[in-house]
Amino acid sequence: MTEISSATGLSAPAGGSPASGDRERTTAMRRFGSWIPTWGLIATKFLELRKRWGLMIAVVLLTMALPVLVLALRLLFHAVDPKTYGPAGSPSIFSGLVNAMAEFGFIAAATLGTAAGTTDLTDGMFRHLVVTGRSRLALYLARIPSGLAIVLPLVAVAFAMVCLVTSYAGSPQPTTIAVNGATIPAGLDQAQLETWLLQHPQQAAAALPPGPGPSSVPTRAFIERDSGTIYGDYTADELTQQNPAVNEMVKIGLWLELVIGVAFLVGLGLGSLLGQRTVATILMIALEIIVTPILARTAIPYFLDGQRLVVGIALDQLRPAGLGAAGAGGPGPGPGHILFGGRGVLGIPPMPTWAMIAVIVGWIVGWSVIGAWRMMTRDA
Amino acid sequence: MFHDGSMAAYTITAAAATHHSSGGGFLVLIVLVLGGLGFAVVRLRNRHDARGRHEEWKVPPERPVAGTERAAADTGRSAPVPAQPERASRTVRPAVALTDPADGWAVETHRLTKRFGSNVAVDDVELRVPRGCAFGYLGPNGAGKTTLIRTLLGLTRANGGTMSLRGFRVPAERSRALARVGAIVDEPRFHTHLTGRENLRLLAAARGGQAGARIAPSLARVGLTDRADDKVASYSMGMRQRLGVAACMLGDPELLILDEPMNGLDPAGMHEMRTTIQNLVDEGRTVMLSSHLLDEVERTCDAVAIVDHGRVIRQGPIDELVRGAGTVVVRVDCADPAAAARVIEQAGIAAGTALADAGLTVTLPAGAPRETVAEINRRLVGSGISVYGLQEVRTSLEDWFLSVTSRFGEHQ
Repeated sequence: MTEISSATGLSAPAGGSPASGDRERTTAMRRFGSWIPTWGLIATKFLELRKRWGLMIAVVLLTMALPVLVLALRLLFHAVDPKTYGPAGSPSIFSGLVNAMAEFGFIAAATLGTAAGTTDLTDGMFRHLVVTGRSRLALYLARIPSGLAIVLPLVAVAFAMVCLVTSYAGSPQPTTIAVNGATIPAGLDQAQLETWLLQHPQQAAAALPPGPGPSSVPTRAFIERDSGTIYGDYTADELTQQNPAVNEMVKIGLWLELVIGVAFLVGLGLGSLLGQRTVATILMIALEIIVTPILARTAIPYFLDGQRLVVGIALDQLRPAGLGAAGAGGPGPGPGHILFGGRGVLGIPPMPTWAMIAVIVGWIVGWSVIGAWRMMTRDA
Repeated sequence: MFHDGSMAAYTITAAAATHHSSGGGFLVLIVLVLGGLGFAVVRLRNRHDARGRHEEWKVPPERPVAGTERAAADTGRSAPVPAQPERASRTVRPAVALTDPADGWAVETHRLTKRFGSNVAVDDVELRVPRGCAFGYLGPNGAGKTTLIRTLLGLTRANGGTMSLRGFRVPAERSRALARVGAIVDEPRFHTHLTGRENLRLLAAARGGQAGARIAPSLARVGLTDRADDKVASYSMGMRQRLGVAACMLGDPELLILDEPMNGLDPAGMHEMRTTIQNLVDEGRTVMLSSHLLDEVERTCDAVAIVDHGRVIRQGPIDELVRGAGTVVVRVDCADPAAAARVIEQAGIAAGTALADAGLTVTLPAGAPRETVAEINRRLVGSGISVYGLQEVRTSLEDWFLSVTSRFGEHQ
C-alpha cells in the first residue's frame, strides 16, 4: 500500500451501455450459482496443479520413466550388439511394461487426485474460493477435467511409445505358436483350435497332457470336454510369443486410461473427504498394492461377492486379452470379453461383465459424490 | 494392476499376503468402508438436525432495496469512486447513523447463533452494519469474532438465526450476496507455489464476469505490480495482506469483511492498511473489520460493535458509545495525594480515587457535571492542600471497552 490510489479505479471496466451491462451482470449472476464449472475455472485449476513441480515430476516419473528407460536401453543395446541383445520390443516386454504402467500409473493418478482434492484446503485457498460465492460443486467438478488433462495424456504418450517400439522395433510376428513342444498355427480361436487338434492327433498328443484310456492320442470327447483349459494354455503361450494386434493395443490403451481415470477420481474423492493429502495417498497406495492383491489372489469363503466389490479386481477382470495373464495363468477365459476380451486371470472366479461395469461405475460415482458432498458441507 | 502376480512388485505384495492373513486385508477394507459410511451418516444427521433447527427461525422477507448506490451495485456499475485525499482521521467523515437506513444494512443479523458442541461461539447476535462506513467488530481473543465472520460468509453453517449481506439473505441467496463482497478471514493464505498474479487469476476465474480484468488494477492499487510475478512463498506477511486486499477487490466489492487485518503487520504495514481501509470507505464501500486492537478500531472505524463471550453487548458510533459511558477521570497534581484522596472520599463527590505515581486520579460518577471538577479544587484548597493542576481525562475506547467487557464478564 505504498501508493493507494483510487485513480487506479476498480470500477467495472467501461464498455457497452448500461443496458448491456445489466444483461451481462444478470447472465454472470446466473452462471455464478451454476454447478457447471466454467472453462476459466478448469484452466486455472489445471495451472495450479501443473505448477506443482514436485508433484508433476513424481507423476511423470511414475507414468513415463519406466517405459522410456527400459525401451531406450533395449534399443541402445540392440543397436550396439544385435547378436547378444534381441529386438527392443517383444510380447513379454509389452505385457510387462503395460502392467507396470497400470500399477505405477494408478499410484501416480491417485496421488494427483488426492493433491487436487486437498491443496485448496491445505494452502488456505478454499476459503478464498468459497467467499467468491461460486458453487462449491462447481469448484469440485472443475478439478476432474483439470487433473485428468494432466495424467491421461502422460499415460497415453508413454503407452504410445511402448506400442511403437513393439510394432516397429520388436521381434517379428510368428506364424506358429509352440505349446508344450507342439507347433500350432497362431491366431486360432477356440473352435478353430479344437478343429485343428482333431485334425492333427499327433500334435495334439504332444501338446496336451495324457488323456484317459490306453491310447496316448486324445479323443474328441477329451478335447471337447477340456477345450477351455486347452485354449487357455494356447492363448497364454500365444500372448507370450506374439505381439498384440493394433486393435488389441487400442483396447489395452483404453483399459489403461480407465485404470488411471478411476485412480484419479477415487483419489480426488478420498482426498476431498479426508482433507489430508498424505493420509489419502497412503490409503490409495495401500488399496492398490496391499488390499487389492490380497483380495484378488485368494477366494475368501462366503465373501466372494465382497471381494468382487473392490475396484482393482473389477478392473483386472476387464483386462484385455491382448495384455495376457502376465505369466500367472488362470482359470481360463472369463466373461469380460464383451468389452475388452478380459480373461479372468485372477485367483477368484470371474464375475459377469455387468457386475464389473457396475463396480467400476459405482466406485467412480460413489467417490465423486462423497468428495463433492464433503466439499459442499465442509467448514472453510 | 497386475494383481495376478507377474512383476517383481507383485512378489512383495504376494509376500505380504503370505505373511498376513488375507482376512487382515479384508478387515482393513471393511473398516474403511464402514468408517466412511459411519462418517457420512453422522454428517447427514447433523445436517438434518441443523436444518431442523434452522426452520425454527423463519427467514424474514427480503428487505426492499432502494437508493442509487444499491441500484448501481446490482446493475453491475461500481460504486462511485471519488478522488479524495487520504483522510487524516476518521472524524473527517460525518457521523454514522445506526437508524434503519433507506437502502438497507450492509450486514444484518437477527439472533444469529453458532455453536461448537456445548460452546456457543456466536450467541444470539443482533448486528446492523450501516453502508458506506468502517465498522469495527471489537472483542477480546476468543470472543467469537472470526466465527461470526465465517458464518456471515457461509464458510460455516449457523445453528440459528437469520442474516443478510447487502440485503440478500444468506445462505438462501449466498451467491448473489457474495458477488460483491470481498473478505479476508484469519491470515490471508494463498498457493505459495504460484505467483501473486496467478493466485488472483484463480480467484478471478472463480468469480467470473469481469473479475479477470480487475487483476492488474487490484495489484496496482495495493502496490504489488512489481512483485506480482514472484511466487507468494517469497512474500512477506504485509505483502500477503496486501495481496488479500487485492483479492477482495476482484469482485469490485460493495462490502469488505476483514478479519484482524492488522495482525502480523509492522507499524508501517498497519499504517498502510489503515489508509487502505479509509480510502475504501471514501470510495463508498463498506468495510467491516474485526479486531482486538482497540486503538486501531478507534482510529479506523466510524462505528463499532463490542462483542464478548459471543454476544454483542454494545454497538453504535464510537463517539456516542464513549460519550454514553459518561465516566470522567480527573487527574490531580497536588502536594499530598494521600490526604487529597481522603478529603475527596469524605466529601462523597467521586465514584472512586486512586493514587498513582503522577499524583491522584479521581473518577467521577456517570453524568457528573463539570462543576464537580471545580468543587474538587475548592475542597482541596479548603483543606490546605496545595493544588498544582487538575486535568480532565477523556475516557478512551479502551477504558470503556475494558469496563464494559469486565462488567459483562462479571454478570456471566
